[in-house]
Amino acid sequence: MTAPTDHAAWACQPAAVARRGFLRSSVAGSLLMPGILSQLLEGEAAAAVDPLAVKPPHFPAKAKRIIFLFMTGGVSHVDTFDPKPALTRDHGKEIKADHPEIKDRPGYEHIFLKRPQWEFAPHGQCGTEVSTLFPHVAECVDEIALIRSMHTSHSNHYNATLGMHTGSFAFSRPSIGSWMSYGLGTHNANLPGFVVIAPQQTYAGTQVYASDFLPGAHQGTLVVPGETPVANVAPRIPSPQQSRELAALTALNRRHLGDRCGDPLLETRLQSFETAFGMQMAVPEAFDLGREDETTLSLYGLKRGQTSGFGWQCLVARRLVERGVRFVELIDTGSSNNWDAHGDMQTHVPLAKNVDQPIAGLLRDLKRRGMLDDTLVVWTTEFGRTPFNNTADAPGREHHPWAFSSWLAGAGVKKGIVHGATDEHGLRAVEQPVHVHDLHATILHLMGFDHEQLTFRHAGRDYRLTDVHGQVVREVLA
Amino acid sequence: MSGQRRAATLLRCWGCVLGLPCVAFVMLAVASLHASTPSAVAADPSVEAFFEKEVRPLLVSRCFECHAGEKAGGGLSLETRDAWAAGGESGPAIVPGDAEASLLMAAVRGDDPAWRMPPEDAGPPLSADEVAVLTRWVAGGAFDPRVATASIGGMSEAEARSWWAFAPLAATDISGGPERIDALLDARIAEAGLPVSGPADDRVFLRRATYDLTGLPPTADELEAYVADPSSDKTQRLIDRLLASPDYGVRYGRHWLDVVRYADTAGENTDRPLPHAWRYRNWVIDAFNADMPYDEFVRLQLAGDLMRTGEPRERLNEGIVATGYLAIARRFGHDIQKDRHLTYEDVIDNLGKTYLGLTIGCARCHDHKYDPVSSEDYYALCGILESTRFAFPGCEPQGQPRDLVPLASAEEIAAAREPWERRRAAYEAAVAARAAAAEAGAGEPAEPLPPEPGPEPTFPLAYAVAEAEPTDVAIQLRGDPEQLGEVVPRRWLDVFGGDTVAAEASSGRAELAEWILAEPLAARVIVNRVWQWHFGRGLVATANDFGSRGEAPSHPELLDWLAARFLAEGGRLKPMHRLIMQTQAYRRSSLASTVAVEADPDNRLLARFARRRLSAEELRDSLLAVSGRLNRSAGEAHPFPPESTWTFTQHGPFEAVYPTTLRSAYVMRPRQRQHPFFAIFDGADPNASTPRRETTTVPTQALYFLNDPFFHEQAEALASRLIAECPAPPGGGSLAAGRIQHAFSLALQRAAAEEEIELLGGLVGEAAAEDAAAWAGLARVLLASSEFLHVD
Repeated sequence: MTAPTDHAAWACQPAAVARRGFLRSSVAGSLLMPGILSQLLEGEAAAAVDPLAVKPPHFPAKAKRIIFLFMTGGVSHVDTFDPKPALTRDHGKEIKADHPEIKDRPGYEHIFLKRPQWEFAPHGQCGTEVSTLFPHVAECVDEIALIRSMHTSHSNHYNATLGMHTGSFAFSRPSIGSWMSYGLGTHNANLPGFVVIAPQQTYAGTQVYASDFLPGAHQGTLVVPGETPVANVAPRIPSPQQSRELAALTALNRRHLGDRCGDPLLETRLQSFETAFGMQMAVPEAFDLGREDETTLSLYGLKRGQTSGFGWQCLVARRLVERGVRFVELIDTGSSNNWDAHGDMQTHVPLAKNVDQPIAGLLRDLKRRGMLDDTLVVWTTEFGRTPFNNTADAPGREHHPWAFSSWLAGAGVKKGIVHGATDEHGLRAVEQPVHVHDLHATILHLMGFDHEQLTFRHAGRDYRLTDVHGQVVREVLA
Repeated sequence: MSGQRRAATLLRCWGCVLGLPCVAFVMLAVASLHASTPSAVAADPSVEAFFEKEVRPLLVSRCFECHAGEKAGGGLSLETRDAWAAGGESGPAIVPGDAEASLLMAAVRGDDPAWRMPPEDAGPPLSADEVAVLTRWVAGGAFDPRVATASIGGMSEAEARSWWAFAPLAATDISGGPERIDALLDARIAEAGLPVSGPADDRVFLRRATYDLTGLPPTADELEAYVADPSSDKTQRLIDRLLASPDYGVRYGRHWLDVVRYADTAGENTDRPLPHAWRYRNWVIDAFNADMPYDEFVRLQLAGDLMRTGEPRERLNEGIVATGYLAIARRFGHDIQKDRHLTYEDVIDNLGKTYLGLTIGCARCHDHKYDPVSSEDYYALCGILESTRFAFPGCEPQGQPRDLVPLASAEEIAAAREPWERRRAAYEAAVAARAAAAEAGAGEPAEPLPPEPGPEPTFPLAYAVAEAEPTDVAIQLRGDPEQLGEVVPRRWLDVFGGDTVAAEASSGRAELAEWILAEPLAARVIVNRVWQWHFGRGLVATANDFGSRGEAPSHPELLDWLAARFLAEGGRLKPMHRLIMQTQAYRRSSLASTVAVEADPDNRLLARFARRRLSAEELRDSLLAVSGRLNRSAGEAHPFPPESTWTFTQHGPFEAVYPTTLRSAYVMRPRQRQHPFFAIFDGADPNASTPRRETTTVPTQALYFLNDPFFHEQAEALASRLIAECPAPPGGGSLAAGRIQHAFSLALQRAAAEEEIELLGGLVGEAAAEDAAAWAGLARVLLASSEFLHVD
């Protein structure tokens, strides 16, 4: 074979820009970070290199950032946000349903309606009904657009969780947070644009916050609650020396990158050092709750010094979005001991207790700071739970992709409304059904994007979060 | 086909070396390869969703009253795809893709009022919307996941029997060398019209091959020798040298440990240490180094204790240790005995994925939704595990470990204990006699006390399995251990013949190994792994899933050729490495034209070599190697606290990180709390099989290079090494230039360019010759560089 070995003969971008930068920094010797990149690379080159540069959305939007609250395991809609008196009335009645979870399943030849186990009551000015599982969130319903007609495409945790995060129910695709980071960039170069705070991994693991084929800079950065939520942020050498070393490293890496046709893998690596440099200062400050007053801590149900729990996650989320992080996802539990109440609905009690006050605290805190005007809060789970079981007195409920509840609050969202409805038993979303793709389209719209236009060319095709689906739910827009 | 009959005709891959009778069989079977595509899977999930949401309910509510069940009206059942395709008395009801030609559509539209469906007495005609749904469905190809009752798990029997991955190997001529592989690859590249990258230069190739086979960088001397070698067989000799190095087993053994989700803790609520699991880990490494034939490797892991019964102690011990594969299964919950059905699921899931690329574990609760695995199959295998005694790691409510397997016979143990027990008895008797005498007021006895008995003799233990009372288990309905169905005899998967355990008195583990090895699938799965370990991507990209949800092979012919060749060469991996690494494809440069990259972003066709980041293990080992601190000896037991002190609870679980300079394969890997270094750099998940390492690029990795203490230590050690190995040149000359060159040669195995010397010279500035702290900056820059971290 006579193919050339010299890369110069290839049609990849010549490394002229990188070389210029390399030479300059070798002369300058001691540039200070951040800003090394902008010194090394000018104009169009900087834009091409910095995938996190702030970009305008397709149209002006109120929402500038998102806090995405994900409840792992499948929250029962009929026990939380979707009151079904008829389900109580018809408790024990046999029904027929061609349901994916009971198809050909031994012991499920007959299924019976099963009543909710918690009382519902109207709350707030709007009178939205919420069950006693969420007493604190219930007090915030006047801020919330509740969607009771959610439905999804899969009844497995893995697939449904992946779908809720990526719009894909089978294959890994970029996460919604990565799409936001890709679409908008981030305001604080010293913090990642997309942060996930989770005590354990949810279903489908790291795929739920992976950038997949989007540039790696849009990957979610995982923070595990604890005393050292992000390791290695304390500098070990004096700052001027570290800056000099980073300048040399950047120059070396740019040269290496230039010789390799600007391989995105290497480019992202380079970028990650600039973010990391800034994180050394920004992270300890962002995660230090020491300056939060008692009133704030108590809103979230936090004790001073506490460094874990959903309250901690919520308060840190507020502090991160305050500091310019574009997308913060909070995951409440991992892939076990979660809302997946096959065995006993009572396991919803501690899980709801874990998140209820912190979520209400977050909404109130954002509101009193004026941040709810430009912050979108999304609360969801991967699917609902069956309003039936194979005996009416079975203590648990099964996976239910046909109907569940999610809600939106904050920037651009109508306050105190309920959108859509399930049938009288909560079996199917019958009025104004909202598929996961529609929820995604709506979230993108609230952030200023036409979901059909936010695309990325990969493997010869333009991909988008909503694949070939999705309709904006106009009724929830303020 | 009955199990016995199928077994008789089955290609016994591991016994024959593709002799004539086998070849004839292979040729007969080729026709059935690639015969089917899975009907249960829609390429587009929306098609599936449309069917589930719109079509299925409509069929149920408007048609099933008559067209379902035993007495389907007009002989037409609409319950499954096969049923409507076969049709009733009037012929096939639906012509997929053609609504006009479909009888069903004519009937629901009421084209002929006498034919209208549903008939007047059965209900009103379908609404326009309902007709539109059916029209869209039929016109769109009538996707229908409902398979006929003649199915195995989630596949129709016909499809399962002809599934490409289960078919006999379609390779009749296994002659030739690397050029055969290249020919198959090049044909596809040419077809796609892709420009091909040229060969990598010697330095790039040496670095690539050395990392690939040993997980370590080459040394400067090795580079010099390789580049200077004028002989034509230098690449072959290089590969032989690397394969002979004990580091090969460390690297490839770790690949295997990824797949079998090796860990040093049990994973239950207290995450107890497994102080003896390391013997299995080291056995894997040794097996790779010894190039143990794969069939032996599989047999020993599933039934080594049985295979080696009656053999000399050392051989028997090896067999026992190898069954650590089963014992290291994850344990669950508070009382692990209560949750042992989850451990069985973990084992079945892992052995399905590891040896057969099949997801069997999900059949615990229900038949597999897409692949031919039923719940009966699952519980048939479960019986084999229930008939096996697993080493018990202990847990909070059940106390300390038990059922570990001593690596010595009862006689040996008795023989060693006997003198000790005699000494102890004598000593204790004498002590008692003295006490009695003292009490009786007698004076000092004249005789001195006998010597103390000394420490109790101990014997090495294996975290392994043994035979238990053989038993069959009942199906657990919906996976609920409280709800039992029928008892299923211990047997092999129905789709592979369903052979039952022959000897009633055994667990069936030995048979299980043979059943697995009898499948050509087993050979396909392992050669695909080897391919992936070399190229970063398998011919089947989903290395753990050869079922209907996995990806189809990119080069089916090549996959089968490799598998057949592998079997013919006795199932040894080293000949496969030699073959693959001498291809032009393996030699290709990772530089490629933009056109080539865009046309094949995943590099499925291998027109270039895929650049990769070092794995977590390679990175850590390289840091240690370059700093000069790497301890290349084999690790053994971890410094766990002694068992007698264990008081772990779910609120206070075992947690530890043990610093070491041994190779990363020997670092203690806990389950509940991922070792922090491996968590940052995409290490394997010790809770689930990792078929392939992902590569993430996140700022927390950059923070590691900025501030991690271990990283800083290695950089400082490298600085000291530079100072020691490059003293100030006696005749003046540039101290900095010399040290920078040496640092480049150690870390990057190349000479520094003029401008690089200038750049880094600026960094070290006027540092004193012996000032290690100042020279550490140079080391940090090189050790954090993209070039150090990536293999071209």
